[in-house]
Amino acid sequence: MHGLLVDVSETTGVRLRAPRHPISKKAIPYWTVRALPGWIVLLVIEVLVKVLPDDPPGAWLTVAIVVTVVLALVHLAVMPSWRYRVHRWEVTPTAVYTQSGWIDQEWRVAPLSRIQTVDTERGPFEQMFGLAKVTVTTASAAGPLHIHGLDLDVARQLVDDLTAATEASEGDAT
Amino acid sequence: MSELEVAAAPSLNEPPEWLRLNGLMVIVSPLKEVVRAAVPLVVVFFAGGGAHSWGQWLSLLGVALLIARGVTHWATARYRITDDQVELRSGLFNRKTRAVPRDRIRTVDITSEWQHRLVGLSALKIGTGRQDKGKDDELVLDAITKAEAERLRTLLLTKVATTTSTAPSVVDEPAPAETELVRVDRRWTRYAPFTLSGIAVVAAAFGTVWHFANDLHLRPDDITIVRTVMDAVGTESPWLLIPGAIVVLLLIATIASVVGYILSYWNFSVTREASGTLHIRHGLLNTRSVSIEEARLRGVEVKETLPLRLVQGGRATAVVSGLRTGRGDERGGGLLLPAAPVAEAHLVAAKALREPKDPTTAPLTPHPRAALRRRLTRAVVSVLALAVVAWIGYQLDILPFWVWILFLVLTPFAAWLGYDRYRSLGHTLTNGYLVTRSGSLVRETVALRSDGIIGWRVHASYFQRRAGLATLVATTAAGRGGYHVTDAGMSQALAFADDAVPDLVAQFLERTT
Repeated sequence: MHGLLVDVSETTGVRLRAPRHPISKKAIPYWTVRALPGWIVLLVIEVLVKVLPDDPPGAWLTVAIVVTVVLALVHLAVMPSWRYRVHRWEVTPTAVYTQSGWIDQEWRVAPLSRIQTVDTERGPFEQMFGLAKVTVTTASAAGPLHIHGLDLDVARQLVDDLTAATEASEGDAT
Repeated sequence: MSELEVAAAPSLNEPPEWLRLNGLMVIVSPLKEVVRAAVPLVVVFFAGGGAHSWGQWLSLLGVALLIARGVTHWATARYRITDDQVELRSGLFNRKTRAVPRDRIRTVDITSEWQHRLVGLSALKIGTGRQDKGKDDELVLDAITKAEAERLRTLLLTKVATTTSTAPSVVDEPAPAETELVRVDRRWTRYAPFTLSGIAVVAAAFGTVWHFANDLHLRPDDITIVRTVMDAVGTESPWLLIPGAIVVLLLIATIASVVGYILSYWNFSVTREASGTLHIRHGLLNTRSVSIEEARLRGVEVKETLPLRLVQGGRATAVVSGLRTGRGDERGGGLLLPAAPVAEAHLVAAKALREPKDPTTAPLTPHPRAALRRRLTRAVVSVLALAVVAWIGYQLDILPFWVWILFLVLTPFAAWLGYDRYRSLGHTLTNGYLVTRSGSLVRETVALRSDGIIGWRVHASYFQRRAGLATLVATTAAGRGGYHVTDAGMSQALAFADDAVPDLVAQFLERTT
């Protein structure tokens, strides 16, 4: 059995330990590039509103543009590496365990015996960086586990392992 | 082909033949479609102006198409029930075949709208319980005779029981007796006004009228009655007008909720058949009958709106896998008891679960004080923020003076709401059930069987982490899919998760130093 087993009843304070595996380092540029279009669209709209009309709006729009640029730079500088530090995953003989988020963080645990499907997904940005997202679903509408930013090879291996493990474990899928 | 197969392998069952829906649907479905389209039709008819405006023709064409669709559906639909699955074929241009494996059937639901009842028909809905697949997993036979619907319901739901017993043993048992768990006392209609459903109805009605008026470019001023009323009340001061409007709205909401309660829950009853299936029947004009296999029951939920709590009222809902918690029509699905004395709600919950005592009445472990601070901050700060925005609006001459004052006056109420929301929070494990409670305007207490939990989510925002709090979500295939233990202490939440489902999260825990 993996992990450090703790007898919870005898301790006063417990917390979730980080899952074993980090995701791909390429996730940092991937998240940076994926966050860019949104900011660019917002800035272009703001600049157009400022430049195009004959009677341009007042100083508040300049303030808005400056604020947008500052927020965008902070977001692009902080978010990807923060996310990279948080996003981790692990598969034990009995369960899948993920940690995700940055400002808000979430941990998800699903027993192997309850897994229904294992999917791989690759969006255009993910393909650019050779990454993949693995989604593990259970019968619950609220319970899918997403592992973002995995190297394609790692993702394929993970899907194979999980599929095999799921078939091996007899379980009531609901 | 199927004939050959049957001939080659003779079985005890008759060769399944394709059956039609009932022919009376040719009358019922156009009636249904026309009634459904009545409001836009009438509005367009009178608002259109000239006798031959394009709007009238367009709406008539629309109705004709709807009627044609209903007739086509009847003419092309065929269904059959084989040993393994239920099949439905339909469609003229777009031929669809839907097959539902019989061992995946979770619910069989019989509904009769009043159009059906005129000619003694029912619609049969067969659900399989893929939670996130929306309508796509449902197979609807609309419509067949009541007798046929009952026959199919029994056939489809008892299939599981008969296949598990290896030999066709002698069925000498007496006719399946039904035990009644609860029947709505008509005096409980007095709880209806406390459900907030009337307010929802008034809001929906207002929204619909507004939408149509907008679509048709009607301005309230153009309608004589509205103008007369507005002129009459327009001269009064706002200090008289606002309380007056509130009283009128409350009155309408009360009437709407009482009428709604009588229409939906007259003759509401929950029975248990000998096979263990729970059978929920209700409705005055549109009767509804929902069957829930007992094996799919994962827990119960007791909901109390703030007004209902004042009069010790509550509602009970079953948490069932494979029964979607949809909107409107679908929402009644797992209802065990509409607004009634809360003691009755707990009683039916206990009976449905076959427990001596409703687990939702168990004493709950409260959440840390930090959760109280969070509730208070969130409630008060949000109202104050609205007040500031309204004040800015007033300074910019967009909003009248009284709006920001109103938000300011609401602050103590918001603070009380925050306190009450904290007071609601709690969780415990009792007798194999995870129990969690939250909410103030609608307080929800859910008891979920621990063996129905199929995973965990632990969510902590930045502020929650600073306060040492976390929200634990037990995921399940039933009901809403996930049930929240909001703002528990991080350590408390994890220990709780480990208690509820042993040997799952323990491997991911470590001691804090």
